[in-house]
Amino acid sequence: MSAEETGMGSEAPGTSSAGPLLEVRGLTKHFPIDRGVMRRRNLGSVRAVEEVSFEVLRGETFGIVGESGSGKSTTARLIARLLEPSAGEVRFEGREITGLHGRDLKPVRRELQMVFQDPYSSLNPRKTIGSIVAEPLVVHRVESDRAARTRAVQELLETVGLNPEHYNRYPHEFSGGQRQRVGIARALALGPKLLIADEPVSALDVSIQAQVLNLLRDLRRRLGLTMVFISHDLSVIRHMCDRIAVMHEGRIVELASNSQLYSAPRESYTRELLAAVPGARRVTGRTIPA
Amino acid sequence: MSPLDDALIPRGSSSPPSGASPEAVQDASADARASATSASTPAPASGGPLLRVEDLRVSYTTEDGLVQAVDGISYELAPGRTLGIVGESGSGKTVAALSVLGLTRAEGASVSGRIDFSGHGDLLSLPEPRLRAIRGNEIAMVFQDPLSSLHPMYRVGAQIVEAIRAHREIAKAAARARAIELLDLVGIPEPSVRVDAYPHELSGGQRQRAMIAMALSGEPKLLIADEPTTALDVTVQAQILALLSRLQHERGMALVLVTHDLGVVAEMADEIAVMYAGRIVERAPTKRIFEVPEHPYTWGLLRSIPTLDGPREELLTPIPGSPPSPLALPPGCRFHPRCPYSTPEHARTDPALEPVPGQPDHEVACLLDPAERRRLWRELG
Repeated sequence: MSAEETGMGSEAPGTSSAGPLLEVRGLTKHFPIDRGVMRRRNLGSVRAVEEVSFEVLRGETFGIVGESGSGKSTTARLIARLLEPSAGEVRFEGREITGLHGRDLKPVRRELQMVFQDPYSSLNPRKTIGSIVAEPLVVHRVESDRAARTRAVQELLETVGLNPEHYNRYPHEFSGGQRQRVGIARALALGPKLLIADEPVSALDVSIQAQVLNLLRDLRRRLGLTMVFISHDLSVIRHMCDRIAVMHEGRIVELASNSQLYSAPRESYTRELLAAVPGARRVTGRTIPA
Repeated sequence: MSPLDDALIPRGSSSPPSGASPEAVQDASADARASATSASTPAPASGGPLLRVEDLRVSYTTEDGLVQAVDGISYELAPGRTLGIVGESGSGKTVAALSVLGLTRAEGASVSGRIDFSGHGDLLSLPEPRLRAIRGNEIAMVFQDPLSSLHPMYRVGAQIVEAIRAHREIAKAAARARAIELLDLVGIPEPSVRVDAYPHELSGGQRQRAMIAMALSGEPKLLIADEPTTALDVTVQAQILALLSRLQHERGMALVLVTHDLGVVAEMADEIAVMYAGRIVERAPTKRIFEVPEHPYTWGLLRSIPTLDGPREELLTPIPGSPPSPLALPPGCRFHPRCPYSTPEHARTDPALEPVPGQPDHEVACLLDPAERRRLWRELG
């Protein structure tokens, strides 16, 4: 039994330095259900995320897989502080970030960036690609000099495999895959330590998906990025992630290393998910008969 | 295994009724896989095809210019068989299937070619009332999003009753009884209660089941399903696919399954047509598409999907570039700008869909030499 079998891989680079990059403890989110226009009545709540705990090691890609309504995207938004948790804590580099607001939160936002599913609605159609990617630099006052900012943007575009000369074009001039690259470039602008990717390839065509998955793997290696990768697609999760949490009805039902999860899943729900993947054997068994 | 051995295995005869328990789901998908394996032989020669599409062309005039959505495709489907039409967005796969229903006639589309269906002659030249009598009756359809096809303000049962009574003289009470029977058939629990539910009161999977029940109301010989499981979770998808293949076997219904998902057609289809930029670029029995694909685009698709048991550390091999805009299709072979094996000659010559030497049921539209293709695929595989 190697370290990998325990789920805590020694394979992730940089684990020797101080502790995990991200610690999530008892994270819980209940959405209240309100009825009535004049007088709000509370009719209970939806338990979207319930007592979720895990750690993300430096340099690893941590996967969260689940079906719709499993709470995986809510978990991502809680970590990124786009939603306030009902209970629980999120520690980033050992520091509790759930209570932070305003000015205290800003430095954390620099280190922790998100890539969204839909490359069509997440980019402002009226802004050029250059100003979309430059926006975080402006907001965080990183590059105040215009020329330096343009240079930084062009470097970012090049990093994600886009033509740097296209910085003054508009989103509609780009294909879905290229737009997702723009979204990734924007997320990388502030040099984050953690990238949270929520279904980053689900809206893309098959032949384009592979381009973006390869880019993310390449960036992880080149920039030493740590990633939380969220998807409903078990094959994509297997391809991308070192350790994986399977979520079901707001809870983590299984957390295991990649090889453990796919070769010997412990939970019946995980087995059910794996068995439901259509054509799994047929697609993979593509060998040429003698 | 000889084709004869294959033919002796009744397809999916052991399919269990689709249940909700995890075990049933597992069994059902395992079963569907088993049946897919035994389903890769040609149909027993029992008369002609149910559906024959010949040189179908569909184009639209848009503000930006002429869009050639489907550009000269031909395919056949025997009774009870399943054809999977696979392609990416904009490949024309949906138009290729919907034209059979006459649904591309409207909105300034120009349609040419021939679609023969079950002794009705050319559907493309039938007057609309006669086509309407066939549509929803002998040919039915299921779409990706049941919410867009089910009216939100009417009870599910009422909509099925309406579908039944649109095509035959039958009393309301009898139609309602038939609706309950159909809901039961597609595995909706407590059908006599659910018949009075509104669409929003059903889960996504149940809505898709209700859609299928409605499609079955006319006892169709042909079901056209356009991305029927794309909006569903993977476990629900497995149930719906198992349901479709069970119904198909029980009723001898032919199925045209349009999808972007190679996994779905691997499980369901007898034969697969791969579409690219408005054309069928490869057509073959399912087994051959996965084992000995001939078109570099098919290779690209197979090599760009991550798998559940392939080597994990390897990078995927994406197809470079993006599919062409239907407004500006490249000259020659439409795949040549993205094809790693293209030569300057390929930008000038437009390849026809032709049988692979020695394989009459395997067609490919590729300018590469067949021996060269075989060598390249062996190197890639």
